[in-house]
Amino acid sequence: MSTPGNAMDSLSAALKCNIIPNQEYLLQGSVLDQYVEVLLHRLRGLCDNVDSGPETFHDHEICFSLRIPNSGATTSMPMSVFSLRVRRAIDVTDTPFQLRYIGQQELGDKNRPTVVRSSIDMACSSSIIEFLNELGCRIDFEYIARGYMFRKGRMKITVSKIFKMGSNKQESVEPISQSYIVELSVLAPSGQDSIGEDMRIFAEQLRPLVQLEKIDYKRLSNMM
Amino acid sequence: MSYSVNISVEAPTENQIQEITYDGTEIYQPPLTLSESLAKYAQKIDFSKTSEVEIKKEESNEDSKSDTDSKDAFQSSLWPWDSVRNKLRNTLQEVCVLADVLAIAKDKRYLVLDPVQQEPLETKPMVQIYARKKALAGAASVLLAGSEKMKNSQNEAARSRTTLDFHIELLRLRQNWRLKKVSNTIIGDLSYRTTGSKYLQTGTFEVTKAEDEEKVTSPPSSPLPGGPAPVKPTSALRVSIPSELQGVAYIEVLCQKDQEDLCTANLTLLGSGPPPSNPDMHWQQKLEAAQNVLFCKELFNQLAKEAVQLQAPIPHMVVGNQIMATVLPGIQLIIALRHSTSSDKKQQNPPPSKSDHDHVLEHSLHQLLREVHHKNTHHPFPHPATGPLGPSKKRMLAGPTAADRYELLEMTKTQTLLEQIVQQAQHFIMRMRTEYVLDTIAKEVKDPLITSHWNTLNSPTQSCVKIHISTHGYDAVCRTPLIIHVGEKSLKCICRDGKVMNMSYEPQELRDLIFCHINQHQILAVQALAKTMGWQALGNSNHLGTGTVEPLGNASSCLLSSPTGDRIIAVRCEPSDTQVSVAHSPRQDFFPSRLVTERKWEHLGGQFRDVRLDKMEGRNFLHKMELLMASLTSSS
Repeated sequence: MSTPGNAMDSLSAALKCNIIPNQEYLLQGSVLDQYVEVLLHRLRGLCDNVDSGPETFHDHEICFSLRIPNSGATTSMPMSVFSLRVRRAIDVTDTPFQLRYIGQQELGDKNRPTVVRSSIDMACSSSIIEFLNELGCRIDFEYIARGYMFRKGRMKITVSKIFKMGSNKQESVEPISQSYIVELSVLAPSGQDSIGEDMRIFAEQLRPLVQLEKIDYKRLSNMM
Repeated sequence: MSYSVNISVEAPTENQIQEITYDGTEIYQPPLTLSESLAKYAQKIDFSKTSEVEIKKEESNEDSKSDTDSKDAFQSSLWPWDSVRNKLRNTLQEVCVLADVLAIAKDKRYLVLDPVQQEPLETKPMVQIYARKKALAGAASVLLAGSEKMKNSQNEAARSRTTLDFHIELLRLRQNWRLKKVSNTIIGDLSYRTTGSKYLQTGTFEVTKAEDEEKVTSPPSSPLPGGPAPVKPTSALRVSIPSELQGVAYIEVLCQKDQEDLCTANLTLLGSGPPPSNPDMHWQQKLEAAQNVLFCKELFNQLAKEAVQLQAPIPHMVVGNQIMATVLPGIQLIIALRHSTSSDKKQQNPPPSKSDHDHVLEHSLHQLLREVHHKNTHHPFPHPATGPLGPSKKRMLAGPTAADRYELLEMTKTQTLLEQIVQQAQHFIMRMRTEYVLDTIAKEVKDPLITSHWNTLNSPTQSCVKIHISTHGYDAVCRTPLIIHVGEKSLKCICRDGKVMNMSYEPQELRDLIFCHINQHQILAVQALAKTMGWQALGNSNHLGTGTVEPLGNASSCLLSSPTGDRIIAVRCEPSDTQVSVAHSPRQDFFPSRLVTERKWEHLGGQFRDVRLDKMEGRNFLHKMELLMASLTSSS
C-alpha cells in the first residue's frame, strides 16, 4: 500500500499543506558568566514547568561542509559550500544523533522581529558521521555546548556555554569565551509570522539581563 | 441665676477667618496694615449724611478748621485721601445730574427716554463650557478628596473592629489564586488552564469588597456591629462565583451487579433547590469548592466524550450525567456526576444505592485526569538541545531504528481515561472475586489448610496473591505453593511445578484449580509422609482416568507399599471425598482354585478393602494416614 511513490506524494502534499515545521525563528544574545545566574533565575520565573529545576544539556556538535564545484563556472563563486551539522547528546546516551541543515538566514526589514532561517532536522543513528565522510563532507569545526534549556509554550530558550574541543577528546575542553550564548527559537511551518511577535515580547521581558536581537553574521564578519 | 459668673470678653488675638474651604481648612486674613485699617474705617463713613452744601462749606472752610474736635481730627486724617474725596464728590455730582434728568424725564414733556439697542454680548460657547467644566472639576475634586478622607476614617474604624482589611485579604487571595484587574473589577481565574487543562468552560470569579450593610445583616443577633468582637470575623472580601460552579460536586463511581436500580438513584439527587449563597463560608473554601466543581465537570465531560466515541463490544451508555459501562458480564460500572448546589441537602439524601460508592476508583479517576493535565504541560525536552520540542523520545528513535508502520501506529495509541478506569474496575472486581473464592475455599476445606498472602505492593490493574496449601502439623513434610496474578480480565496461576495456567474472569475456574491442587497436595503429602515412614511409593497419578467421573477435575491417586512389602495402601483423592484402601500381600484368604493352583500366587496381593477414615483417630487426613501406616508396619 505504501509504495515509495506514495510516500513521496504524501510528503509533497504535506509540504504543500504547510504542516512541516521547517522555519526557525531565532533571536540571539549573550550574557557574561557572572550574570548568568540572574538570567537563569529570571527564566525560571517566566518559563513553564521549572518546578523540577531547569533541564540541562551537554551536546557535541560537528559541522561538516561539502564543497560542490559550480558547474556554471562563474569566476566569482567557484565553489558552493553546503554545511550540515551533526549533534549528539553526551549526557543522555540513548538518544539518536541529530542531523541538521540550516539555511541562509533572512534578516528581513525592521518590522520583522526575528531572524528566520529554514531548518530541517532529523534523527539518525551514530553511523551518520561515517556516512557523511563517505559522501565527501569534511569536518569544518566542532564544539561542545553545555547549558540549560527552558520552554515557554512553543518557544525554546537555551542558555549554553560553548567549549572548544581539545586535542584529547574527553578531558581537555576549554571555554571559548567568558560568556554564555542565549538563544530563543521556535520551529514552525513557514508563514506563521505571529510567533515572531510573541518572541519579541518574551525577549522584551528579559531585556535588562540579556539583549536578544537579530544577529547579522555578515556584519559580524565584516567587523572582524 | 443665683450663681454669678464673671465673663470677660476680649477680642480674639487670632486673625479673622477669610474663608473655610469645603475640606475644612481655614484661610486666615492677613493682619491689617495701618493704612488698610484706616481705609477700613474710612469705609464706615456715611457719605449720604453730608449734603452738597456741607461739602461746599467744608471746601470753603478748609483752612479755617472751625469744626468740632472730632470733625477736625477726621478732616486732618482725610487729607491724604483727597483724591478719594474728589472722586466721591464727582460721583455725587453725576448722581445729582442723573436724578435731575430722571425728574425731568418723569414729566415726559421735555424729555423722552428711548431704549437704546444694546450691542449683543459676544458669547463664546466653548469658552463657557470649558469654564464650567473647570469649575465642576474643581468642585468634583474637592468632593472626591472629602469622600476619600471619610472612607479612610471609616476603614480605620472598620479595622479596629474584627473585620480584616480588604487589601490584606486581597494579598492573601493573590498568594493562592490568579487575579487580574480588568478596568475597575478584579477578576480571578480558578480553572486548571495553567496546569494543562484544555477544558473550555471558564472558571472566572469576581472579587469585590464586602459592603458594610451586609455585614450588619448577616449576624442579626448582634446589635452593634462595631461592638466588642463578634465571634466570627467577617471577611472584607467577597468572591462571586458563576452559578454553574456553585455548590458541591463529586464524581460517584459504583460497581453494580445487574440492573437493579438504575433509574432511581440519580433523580433524587439531582433535584436541586435554588443555589444558596452561603455568606459564612470563607472565600478560600468557596473557591476550592468551585474549583472542585470545575474539575469534576471536566472529568465527567471527558469521560462522556470518550464513552460516546469508544467502540466497545457492549456500547457504553451516557444518560443525563451518568455513564454506564459494562465491565464484566453482568457487572456495570456507573460513573455519575453529582452536583448538589445546596449545602444542607447533602445530609438529607445519602446515596440510596445499595452498592457503595467506590472511593478508590473515584480517586484514581481524579489521578488519571491530573496525569493528562501533567502530560499536556510537561513535554520532554529534546536531547540534543537543538531538536524539536514535542515528539517523544520514542518518536525520535523511530527513524534511526527504522520503525515500521505498525510500531508507529502503536505509538499514536493512547488509552482513554474511560478505558483505564474500566480496566481498573475490572481488576477491582477480579480481585474481589479472587478474594471471595479463596476465602470460601479456606472456609469450606478444613483439612489441608489454605493460606493466602496478598502482596501489599500492587498496581491499579495488577496484583498478586500467594497461596500455601499445607496440613496442620505436617507443613514441614509437604507444602504446595501457588502464585496467582490477578489481571484485568484474566488470572494467571503459576503452579508448584512451574506450569502456568491462564484463566478467564469466571471464578469457578479458579475454584476448580484450587480443588485440583488440594487433591494433588494430599497425594504428594501422603507420599512424602510415606517416605519418612520407610514406606515406598509405588506410583501416583495426578489425573486418574478411572473411577467415577468427577463433576470437576480429576481424582488423584497413589499407591504405597510397606517396608517389607506385605501391605499396600491405595489412596484416591477427589474433591468430594478421599478413599483409602488396604491390601495384604500374602493374602490371607487365598484358596487354591482350578486356575490358580499354586500357593506362591498368594504373594500377588489380595483384594483391596476400604478403610473407613471417618472412624479413624487422628486430627486430619495425614495424621490418620500416619497412624494407619504405623499400625500396618507394626503388625507385620
